[in-house]
Amino acid sequence: MRMSNFGYLVRRGVGSVFRNAMMSVASFCVLLVSLLLIGLSVLIAMDINIIMSNIEEKNEISVYVRGDLSTEELNHISDVISSNPNTMTGGVVYYSKDQAWEDEKEKLSEYAELFDYLEENPMPDTFRVTVSDVSRISDTAAEFKSIEGVERVDAPYDFARAMVNIRATLSVIALGLLAVMIVTSVIIVYNAIRSSVFARAKEINIMKVVGATNSFVKIPFFIEGMFIGIAAGAAAWGLTKVIYEVIVQLFEEDITIWRIFGLVNIVQFDDVTWYLLAADCVLGALLGAIGTIISTGKYVKV
Amino acid sequence: MVELKNVDVHYVDGAKGGVDALNDVNIRINDGEFVFIVGDSGAGKSTLLKLLTREIQPTGGRVFVNGYNLKKLRNRKLPYFRRSLGMIFQDFRLIPTLTVYENVAFVLRVIDKSKKYIRQRVPYVLDLVRLNDKAKAYPGQLSGGEQQRVAIARAFACDPKIIIADEPTGNIDPKLSYDIVELLQDINDCGTTVIMVTHNHDLVKFYGGRVINLKEGSIAFDGTIEGAIEGE
Ligand SMILES: Nc1ncnc2c1ncn2[C@@H]1O[C@H](COP(=O)(O)OP(=O)(O)O)[C@@H](O)[C@H]1O
Ligand SMILES: [Mg+2]
Repeated sequence: MRMSNFGYLVRRGVGSVFRNAMMSVASFCVLLVSLLLIGLSVLIAMDINIIMSNIEEKNEISVYVRGDLSTEELNHISDVISSNPNTMTGGVVYYSKDQAWEDEKEKLSEYAELFDYLEENPMPDTFRVTVSDVSRISDTAAEFKSIEGVERVDAPYDFARAMVNIRATLSVIALGLLAVMIVTSVIIVYNAIRSSVFARAKEINIMKVVGATNSFVKIPFFIEGMFIGIAAGAAAWGLTKVIYEVIVQLFEEDITIWRIFGLVNIVQFDDVTWYLLAADCVLGALLGAIGTIISTGKYVKV
Repeated sequence: MVELKNVDVHYVDGAKGGVDALNDVNIRINDGEFVFIVGDSGAGKSTLLKLLTREIQPTGGRVFVNGYNLKKLRNRKLPYFRRSLGMIFQDFRLIPTLTVYENVAFVLRVIDKSKKYIRQRVPYVLDLVRLNDKAKAYPGQLSGGEQQRVAIARAFACDPKIIIADEPTGNIDPKLSYDIVELLQDINDCGTTVIMVTHNHDLVKFYGGRVINLKEGSIAFDGTIEGAIEGE
């Protein structure tokens, strides 16, 4: 196709956006809300991920060993723990019974006399192990338990289960929301293009009579659908920026609360701004195109 | 060239259990001919034209148009076949939101002609139908006769081998009908085949030439008649 005629089709498609102002505005708004919610939920999901992994990092398995082990035996246990696939690299800390004893004494310094009655250090040698996947913490703890020389294993099972549940629930909510918004967007674009097709029934008929190819008839409708999609994408990006920055500000005002959990590194909008703009526009264009494909497939019989 | 061989068209119509619109029709129209097709309402004239444009396929028999075997024509090639035809309708079918000039330019864009060609061709065909001074008008601002002249210009703009007109004078002042036929004859003089369906017997008697008369889906007459005007 010649550029001049393609340009003509593009102008007609864009012209259609304004001719069908009502439908275009409706599609634009629905797409805008969809893309806004999608953008915000992606950003918040990223934040929650960061927060969750921060929380999870504070989450350890304590492996208590028997008191009568030799240094070789302790080293062997340490090696076995380190080589477990769920053990974080550098996540094994040896906590000796002497160290534990000293710490305990310090904590209970008011009752220092009590310790005098104890002839022997009752604390066990301990390995503190950080795991990389909290959801597998029970299995990992069981594996540690079966190592020769290990007496007891403590793991925050409930905490792990809660974390896994929170993540799963949030994912389901987010995915459900995305699915609903995407379907709604496609339906509204489909309707807008359908009304545009009906408004142009006469032209389409003439085009077919004089020998227009399939693509020639359909291109203006694609331009129309994608134009609305891209415009909504750009607007959604701007709105996402405004709203997300408000959220970040609220978060940072109360930063002391969050610092307790070690959670200060949430996603900054400026770090993702270009990716988000591109993603919004591409997704907008895609939703516009899908609505157009369904609509023209059904109503433009060439 | 147009050739119909033993063509039947049967419409499957739930209410009446089907209609035989054409029965065993054989027609051959050579390049450069001017043919009137006449017949009562419901005789099958429009059905015949729809066969030629491959809007419908025959239930039986074979149809050849401009070297295309329409039974075997792939859907993908259909647009290119259609470009060898120029269509004129009773209801003009102009695009109301486009000017006269744009209506003609539109179909040239559809068949992907260059800007330069369009700029030369549109004024040329508008001149042919004597409407250059109305180039900027919209269809709604023109009389029926003028609108049909725009439609003729549009059909001719694509330089078709055959012009097919379905009752082109049906919606316009009878006195202006002669104008329309004469324009079609001018186009025919340039070598384009013209096939014109009409109800208007006066028009046929006046101009004469080859006439095909359809009756209840069959050919009742196919021959040349003498016109009332001389010098053909
Ligand atoms: N799409 C259709 N479905 C069913 N019957 C049709 C259809 N088109 C035309 N017919 C019937 O076929 C016959 C011929 O119609 P048509 O070719 O339109 O006649 P004409 O143009 O000569 O008036 C008529 O009886 C008409 O009712
Ligand atoms: Mg008819």
